[in-house]
Amino acid sequence: MFGHDRDEEFLRATMGAVDLVYALARRMVDRPEDAQDLVQETYLAALRAWRDHRRPRKVEPWLATICLNLGRSRFRASARRPTEVPLERIDRADPAQDPEERALDAVRRDELVAAMWRLPQEQRVALTLVDLGGFTTAEAARAMGTPRGTVLSRVHRGRRALAVELSREQGQAREGRTR
Amino acid sequence: MIGIKRVHDPERNAAVYVSGELSRRATHWFEAHLLDCDDCWREVALGRAGKRLAEDALEPAPAGLRDRLRALVRLSGTSLTD
Repeated sequence: MFGHDRDEEFLRATMGAVDLVYALARRMVDRPEDAQDLVQETYLAALRAWRDHRRPRKVEPWLATICLNLGRSRFRASARRPTEVPLERIDRADPAQDPEERALDAVRRDELVAAMWRLPQEQRVALTLVDLGGFTTAEAARAMGTPRGTVLSRVHRGRRALAVELSREQGQAREGRTR
Repeated sequence: MIGIKRVHDPERNAAVYVSGELSRRATHWFEAHLLDCDDCWREVALGRAGKRLAEDALEPAPAGLRDRLRALVRLSGTSLTD
């Protein structure tokens, strides 16, 4: 196969996983620019392996594993810094929605992203793989290099922490509105 | 699909149940158990709520990242394996 065809085949196989790899990168480093760099490094490392005829059985777990390994080794210092709450706002506003509802929705989403950032990194990564990436806990365990029981515990603790924290914040918001 | 440990471990059981990884038989056993066990019931409720929240927390890749990746691959030629 010519180099051009091989690279196009790589793109066809991997471009569907960009959101997942970005989500993963985003949960390992605190600055969006660093996350984009990590995604690019992941794709280059994957391309190199692809050209070397190392083809995965499933693309997503393969890319996730590369991203996790690169993230651990190259961004360890930044990941250890005190967590900054990311300020980018996710704009998925529905134009038909009532403006007040929309504002509350945006606040809730910011709270949610902030709550995600307060989780320990291992819980954040485990949740991203299982709940966003649709990995089985066995696949996530392979990607993270940890026993499956550890992944189960991280996933559940992460879910529980989000649920508890967000319900507390929503309770406070409701009290604030009815005052 | 996997079975369930019949030891009482609400955290682990809730995690596999909410992730939808229990075998059909283990699901039936656990759902019957849930009706009688406040600890497991609470962990499953929190697990479900947290899973929905985690799914909502997706930050899509920024516009332009896909184009940059395509350009990176196409421009890198064969230099990566030289």
